[in-house]
Amino acid sequence: MDAPGRRRLFTPIISASGFLLVLMIALPLLRMVVSVDPAELSRTAGEREVRQAIALTLRASLWATLAAMVTGIPLAWMLARRRFPGRRILEGVIDLPVIIPHTAAGIALLSVWGRQSLFHRLTGLTLVGTEVAISLAMFFVSVPFLVNAVKNGFRLVDERYEKTARSLGAGPWRVFFSISLPMVRKSILSGSIMMLGRGISEFGAVVILAYHPMTAPVMIYERFQNFGLRYALPVTVLLILISLGVFLILRMVEERRR
Amino acid sequence: MIRLEGVDRDLGDFSLRSIDLAIREGEYFVVMGPSGAGKTLLLELMAGLALPDSGEITGVDLQALGFIYQDYMLFPHMDVFANIAFGLKVRRLEKNQIQEKVRRTAAELELTNLLGRDVRTLSGGEQQRVAIARALVIRPRLLLLDEPTAALDRANRLRTQKMLRRLHRNTGATFVQVTHDFEEAMSLADRVALMMGGRIVQSGRPDEVLTCPASRDVADFMGYRNIFSGPVRRGRMRIGAWELQVPLEESEFAYAAIRGEDILVSRDPLDSSARNHMSGRVSAIMGNASGAEILVDAGVELNVGITRTSLEEMGIRVGDPVVLTLKVSAIRCFEH
Repeated sequence: MDAPGRRRLFTPIISASGFLLVLMIALPLLRMVVSVDPAELSRTAGEREVRQAIALTLRASLWATLAAMVTGIPLAWMLARRRFPGRRILEGVIDLPVIIPHTAAGIALLSVWGRQSLFHRLTGLTLVGTEVAISLAMFFVSVPFLVNAVKNGFRLVDERYEKTARSLGAGPWRVFFSISLPMVRKSILSGSIMMLGRGISEFGAVVILAYHPMTAPVMIYERFQNFGLRYALPVTVLLILISLGVFLILRMVEERRR
Repeated sequence: MIRLEGVDRDLGDFSLRSIDLAIREGEYFVVMGPSGAGKTLLLELMAGLALPDSGEITGVDLQALGFIYQDYMLFPHMDVFANIAFGLKVRRLEKNQIQEKVRRTAAELELTNLLGRDVRTLSGGEQQRVAIARALVIRPRLLLLDEPTAALDRANRLRTQKMLRRLHRNTGATFVQVTHDFEEAMSLADRVALMMGGRIVQSGRPDEVLTCPASRDVADFMGYRNIFSGPVRRGRMRIGAWELQVPLEESEFAYAAIRGEDILVSRDPLDSSARNHMSGRVSAIMGNASGAEILVDAGVELNVGITRTSLEEMGIRVGDPVVLTLKVSAIRCFEH
């Protein structure tokens, strides 16, 4: 039994440690937002180059997320439902992009899709420096978030729902689309939100595959390198505000679904 | 006729071993057994939801079966109507046909007013009826029921049993149910099978299994409260200070099982044809739904069943001396 004094301290100490963490995240962001001159911000928002970079970032990440939904959700189902040799190894492979440095990921991608690659020699297509390359880089580094979220979602759904549907005569496609999939739509939504966000924020892998066309993170880096903090700041704040807006809306959709 | 022949299935944690069963068309067959005996897996094998490692299952039309899990497994993202209609949609019936069949089945199960409801807002009993309606709407020839009453209180359990009996009669389908409750098995089944440790240990008519258990474990499951063991010499087994006459001549080691209801209790020795008498003192009296059980200390402890009326008329109290009388034919002997 805890002494009454220690008991009373429980809530304050838990709250204080949580507050400290939030401060670590919010302080730099808040400091940055208040330090930027509003006139400067609106001028930057008016720059065509900036608007294009932000739109490109959002679009490329959206493509990557949609591609991951098509390929990643069936994979997540397989990993959750089927037992097959090498399943654990496969799960490890899916997690790899989270662990390796993203510049290394960019270089690895370059060896498959770059100008010296087999892909280029066979098709003659050049992906480097295109929107497709940006999406590929974003896909690579952020797809684990979607696959893992959906996989855990499937694991939480009692397999007997699927068996009941099968007993009623439903084939595997029908069971998948009308039972399994709708039952994990929350996991799909939250996994997609995570993936979308991770894609938007990606710099390392993207900058290696496509310096141009310029995504917002690359543009922030470029302005910081060439002109210093003062010039990088407005773009940074703009990207953060827009990302925040997008995610607030998506989270609200997610909440409403609950 | 549904036949299972030499069916094996190993699941690691437990396994089904050489299951042989023959279930007749239209009968109410109950597989009973303790939890974890593999009963659900047996149903899944029959429904083709799991495949046997070896052995054969024949006589099941997979297009005309219903399967009801213990927790009903209503699809939470569909309303009551859509749940019931699922099997009909799979069969690509026309909209108005689906409407009509769902309405008819819903009426049969008193669900008409619930068709538009979110299944997550239903009571346990309502959920169960939806699950049954969803299975029955496709007119199955075989209905597989996994512990349909396990989660219910006594009143609802009896109500469900009554409903199942009625549905069995009305549909003419073969019902195969699993339960851990032998009294339920007794009340519903045309025939029963008892499953233990992944094997069928006995099957037959309920009264046969009840009166002639095939082993000590079966007797234990069937509610035989008095089970003794020891060698048998010239038709007698020593139990505590008593020598009981048993229906077995010689054995190095045997079990003798006696139901509490088969032991007569009296204040004075009875003048009867029964061959076994023991005396002791009442050590406890426990009421139950159908009467009472009294524990008698006769050197060994015996569990005796008695009706409430007899208990009151005889005025038996804890500490009273009593005489126990027991026919040889009421004792079941097994060597395993």
